[in-house]
Amino acid sequence: MTATSASLALAGNRSVLRRVRDWLGNPWGRPRFLVLVTWAYIVWSIVPVLIAIQFSFNAGRSLTAWQGLSLTRWYWGDPVDSVWADPTLQAALLQSLKLAGLDMLIATPLGVLLALGLARWRGYLAEASNLLMLFPLVTPEIVMGVSLSLVFLYLFDFIEPSTTAQVLGHVTFSLSYVVVIVRGRLFSIGRQYEEAAADLGATPWETLWLVLLPLLLPAILSSLMIVFAISIDDFVISQWLSCGADCDTIPIRIYSATRAAPLPSINALAAIMVYFTIGALLIAYFLFRFLTRGERAAGKAGRSVVADMGGFDM
Amino acid sequence: MVRGGEVQVVDLVKRFGPVAAVHGINLHMPGGEFFSMLGPSGCGKTTTLRMIAGFEQPSEGKILLDGEDMTGTPPHRRHVNTVFQNYALFPHLNVFDNVAFGLRRQRVERSELQRRVGEALALVQLTGFEKRKPVQLSGGQQQRVALARALVLKPAVLLLDEPLGALDAKLRKQLQIELKALQQQVGITFIYVTHDQEEALTMSDRIAVMSNGRVEQVAAPRQVYEEPATVFVADFLGVSNLMQVTARGADAQGHCRIRLEDFELQAARGDTAVSGDTKATIRPERVRLEPHGSTGENRVPGTIERAVYLGNAFQLIVRLCTGQSIQTLFQNTGDEMPYAQGAAVHVHFPADALRVLRDTGARAPTTDKS
Amino acid sequence: MYPRRLWPAFAMPGVLWLCLLFLVPFYAVIAVAFGTVDPIFLNPVPVWNPLDWNADYVLQTLTGFLPGNDYWRVFIRTTEYVAISLALCLLIGYPVAYYISRHAGRTKSLLVALLVLPFWVSYLMRMLAWVNLLAPEGYVNRILTWAHIFTTPPDWLNGNPYSVILGLVYGYIPYLIMPLLAALDRIDKSLLEAARDLGASPFRAFVHVTLPLSKTGILGASVIITLPMFGDYYTPNIISGSPQTSMLGNQIDIFFHGGPQPAIGAALTLVLSVFLGVLMIYYMLTVAKASREAQA
Repeated sequence: MTATSASLALAGNRSVLRRVRDWLGNPWGRPRFLVLVTWAYIVWSIVPVLIAIQFSFNAGRSLTAWQGLSLTRWYWGDPVDSVWADPTLQAALLQSLKLAGLDMLIATPLGVLLALGLARWRGYLAEASNLLMLFPLVTPEIVMGVSLSLVFLYLFDFIEPSTTAQVLGHVTFSLSYVVVIVRGRLFSIGRQYEEAAADLGATPWETLWLVLLPLLLPAILSSLMIVFAISIDDFVISQWLSCGADCDTIPIRIYSATRAAPLPSINALAAIMVYFTIGALLIAYFLFRFLTRGERAAGKAGRSVVADMGGFDM
Repeated sequence: MVRGGEVQVVDLVKRFGPVAAVHGINLHMPGGEFFSMLGPSGCGKTTTLRMIAGFEQPSEGKILLDGEDMTGTPPHRRHVNTVFQNYALFPHLNVFDNVAFGLRRQRVERSELQRRVGEALALVQLTGFEKRKPVQLSGGQQQRVALARALVLKPAVLLLDEPLGALDAKLRKQLQIELKALQQQVGITFIYVTHDQEEALTMSDRIAVMSNGRVEQVAAPRQVYEEPATVFVADFLGVSNLMQVTARGADAQGHCRIRLEDFELQAARGDTAVSGDTKATIRPERVRLEPHGSTGENRVPGTIERAVYLGNAFQLIVRLCTGQSIQTLFQNTGDEMPYAQGAAVHVHFPADALRVLRDTGARAPTTDKS
Repeated sequence: MYPRRLWPAFAMPGVLWLCLLFLVPFYAVIAVAFGTVDPIFLNPVPVWNPLDWNADYVLQTLTGFLPGNDYWRVFIRTTEYVAISLALCLLIGYPVAYYISRHAGRTKSLLVALLVLPFWVSYLMRMLAWVNLLAPEGYVNRILTWAHIFTTPPDWLNGNPYSVILGLVYGYIPYLIMPLLAALDRIDKSLLEAARDLGASPFRAFVHVTLPLSKTGILGASVIITLPMFGDYYTPNIISGSPQTSMLGNQIDIFFHGGPQPAIGAALTLVLSVFLGVLMIYYMLTVAKASREAQA
């Protein structure tokens, strides 16, 4: 290769590189580099789970080799090992649903009251209480697990590790989520509707019931769904307060089965949990949208449904 | 139709922490009046309104409605109703239920409730809108529902907190006329809060101009504009052409002798007995421009600094030889502009248009003298 | 308008609950850590009165943290895993959050929905998915051998720190992206437009405007995942199952579930909590300082 052709080739390569960089950078539109990273992340984030769900429909017993499609074998078909047939798996499913249901019923009203109280109470005690409410959100679950199991062992020893203990633990960490969600909604509503109600002759109780609560309904419903989702997903607290096989939840089953030659029925069990949570999420999403459609059209609260429901502003 | 609705505010003070939003004001509004509270943001007008409504508790002082002290009464038991700045229509109820809300709290019987809601909606020209939800209404329509909702309860006093602020200019002007007509038709007291001086001037029977938690002046629109009591009022309503002068008390005819730099002027209006450093003011439309060299009292030479064409008027800004900039206003009668930029003129301040003011250092009146 | 006492009354049940089931249990940890051990049954005996506290076990645990000793190694390892995972999460998560916040336009709702999806899949299922993929005959190894990157792929599931880090990153990154996205959304777009208008290239506008403004967001999101990560024990257990990769959380787990000395476990929990408390206080002070500067 002569010097000229070499330098020509080099120049050609440089311009190719620049063209690639420009194409990726795309200063006038969306930077394609970012687009690639984002979609790559989304794919990486979702595909493993999809594969796991796919294997719950595996015809054979392997978790790594696809042996054909069987829609029902691991869910209810297999007479011995499917979720429907295996009593331990069923028990886990029931226990998870029981805990989630009780958690919803207790944490939501308690949390709504707490949110209202904290949002409008003034003073040092109020600020301290607010701090107290925020702590569970940043406490590692193991610390909560340890502390709860110790307190049930040594102080409140009338409560054994049991479903009761598990429910108490679940409500404790769910409360803060409810407060954050409801409080977010409260701030976007503002005081105006309650003042209007009082102005028109409503007593404080009438104002709470007839005006504030209906306006808070979207937040209350999303709280219910979110509490359901985090309760079903909880592993650490459930494990630490568990009474043994009878109290095992789905996550505990998955945990113990994963390293011990699991079958696709575990995938099926986990997949069932996914169906439940996504179902709850969708219900919450569409309900919230439906209930706030008025305000969205007026350009007010509810602009970002996910942000309103997620309540990630601490 | 309801009459009455006399409101009295006595020595009202409101503190938020160490800061006083309202510094001890006194107001008296006899029934049936369209009364406005006008001032810039933070002057205390909205706070005062909210105290009358009951949403804030005064730190000191009393609020009386038709002679009765309602300072301690909670808002849901006061016989006043409010129209909010953002309307505050209940989004989960339709128009009918919004308007009927207050009536239902009073346990009004069904057929009468229907009748009264129908009347209220007819009053604001929204018959037929009963089933709509607030989100389906335009700004102006929402405003009217808010009005209907308040008026259906036949309050003695209606409080309005900058109700037209969220609307565009044309709609605002239209609703101003409608509101005024409504008040005259219904006959109750309207207490109206605004920062828009034009709005206050057009609609009110009387205006309370407020600043920094105090009342500067309470008077009819014409007086507030033409006879401002303080520098603040003069400056807030329209252009004031404030000039720093030295006053030397009243002469035999009762005119105040004032000295503007080297020039002796006579002011027939305002606090003519004042002496010392103070301010004088004159409205742009009262200033006369005469060709350079004209003689007579109250004339000061100057140059046209800028000539602006406003469409319906000419605005000529004159720089006096003493340094002040004076705005003048001439109606556009179809003729050419009287003077061009750079022209030398003599500025004539007619004595009975020149007003000498008590300077801002002095205490502004807090007592309503009407 | 409302009776003053109403709001504290509403808050009372919740506050009481949290006191009884959050604060008191934490005190129980302290009491056990500073407690004694029954000599016969070898049960820990909590000591509730601060005056009677026995510092033996706490001191014993703290000496374990001195450089060179057992807990020190675990602590260093945990910090390494957390730091590397945090860095990777930020490296991947920030561009994603940035793109969705700034450039997504019409696809934004779809992307946010896809981002939120992992939240509603059980953490354990997501780990299960990777365990299957990383199994000796799993897809990862199949792809690696097919692409001739490895002839015999390493064992991913036995004491492999890379797998643990992968697990941590995969598990926690959604919890980083969401708050980061919220923080980036809050940045006033007109500031960036002003920067571009004044002549900054997209890159410089990013470095000099967006990045500084997103600092608190980055800090907040990092805190949200770092604190729980320090206490994580199930991720190493599921993915690696070997003491070679054990984190602080694993140590605590061992002492309570099958170990001989819950008092040590309580002491460890205490140390962990204090350490995280310090981090938390540092974070709050930084935020307070930043908001004071923003107002000045």
